[in-house]
Amino acid sequence: MGNTQRQRLEEILAGELVLMLALLGIAMLQVALPVRQLEFFPNIMLLLVVCRALLAGASSAARWAFYGGLAIDLCTGSTLGSHALALLIAGLAALIALAPFNRTSWLVPIVGTLLGALAYHVLYAVLISITVAPVDPQAYLLVAALPETLITLIPALPLFLVMRWYAERRRGRVPVDAY
Amino acid sequence: MLRDRSFRSGSAQRRSPVVVTALLLAAILLVALDQAGMLGDVRVRATSLITPVLAFTHSIGTTLSDAFGQLRTPAQAEAELAALREENSKIKAENLRIQEYQLEISRLHQQLRIENEKPWQLLGSSISAFTLDAGRHQILLAVGSEQGVKPGMAVIAREGSNPAALIGVVEEVGPQSASVLLITDFNSAISAQIYRSDRVVQGVAQGQWQRGSRLRLEEVMREDVIAAGDVVVTAGLSAAFQAGLPRASIPPNIPIGTVEQVNPSGHTQQAELQPFVDPERVRYAWVILNVKG
Repeated sequence: MGNTQRQRLEEILAGELVLMLALLGIAMLQVALPVRQLEFFPNIMLLLVVCRALLAGASSAARWAFYGGLAIDLCTGSTLGSHALALLIAGLAALIALAPFNRTSWLVPIVGTLLGALAYHVLYAVLISITVAPVDPQAYLLVAALPETLITLIPALPLFLVMRWYAERRRGRVPVDAY
Repeated sequence: MLRDRSFRSGSAQRRSPVVVTALLLAAILLVALDQAGMLGDVRVRATSLITPVLAFTHSIGTTLSDAFGQLRTPAQAEAELAALREENSKIKAENLRIQEYQLEISRLHQQLRIENEKPWQLLGSSISAFTLDAGRHQILLAVGSEQGVKPGMAVIAREGSNPAALIGVVEEVGPQSASVLLITDFNSAISAQIYRSDRVVQGVAQGQWQRGSRLRLEEVMREDVIAAGDVVVTAGLSAAFQAGLPRASIPPNIPIGTVEQVNPSGHTQQAELQPFVDPERVRYAWVILNVKG
């Protein structure tokens, strides 16, 4: 019994470690890979967290948001926890707002990403204003939030479909049924 | 209605708010601790661990950027071409300006050298126009009365290794321009002299352009000995000979040219002169405003 619990704990820890490393790798790619010619790059971590929230619920998405946010904070040198907090709120906002809606609708990931991005940028701007320097809301909206949100919307549906397909495969059954 | 049914266990669902709240609190705590400067060491160590990987990823990004930079749409290529053309045009204009400055420096250097050698106060000017027709053989300078130019003033120029020499006399003056009658014009008669070892030979340097030649020294007394190679300079007596230039103020000893050939003519003799400066090739000249001292 004890061995089984220990084995299960080790499996959980190993799974979390793999998740952390994977999200750290994605954070690195998001921070360092964008080509100079593209002025804006999709916020992949935000997209992953929102899709995860829509597909797997709050707990799992919160872990992704926390690990991914910390990874971005480490890579970018921003205040530790700021991106994690913004991603947590983004995932929760998308999840809560779209809870009554059918996950098979193609609008769900797009609206979810939109709402998540809104929550993310609002909270992140507030955090920057508190921890670094006051942010001009209009400038932040026009220069950072709006372009990044629009470009993040582009891969939202494909990524959501891929993640849903992968989740279904792992579960070994179709998660959608009629009732 | 289709709905995504949760696949998690009941305990996992119950655990969800706890996990979310805990992570939210953890994130807020991290922000507070980092702001308080209590995570400095942890951050430094973590950063040092990921920096090599981050640098590698960045190098890939840079490589991709360079590759991506090669891919341009026709509109981008056209815009870049237009920008390059504009830049090229600016560089050419700048180059021209530099060449102008170099020329200006060279001319000022020449002027300084002449002013050091001779007691003349000079005013430099480029040649605005040539009016080399059969009637009048003259040039137009880009300076005028506003710069102190007056009719009758001598105009000199320099060519090659020759000394600065007379090329004409200011005839008419406008506020910003002055017409100069060249010494090669038939209407130009300049009092001239040749310094010999025992005496000074005087004559008149008469323009011959309309007669198919350039310059001739006339009115030289037959008994005066002159020879090819003698240097002819101004005598400073132009006012006495030029009726049309009553205010002629040509200082003495301005080089004019050298004697090429001497021809006896009745009681006098005349000599074909080779001017030191060919007025037709002059692009820049100096007006002698006055003689110092």
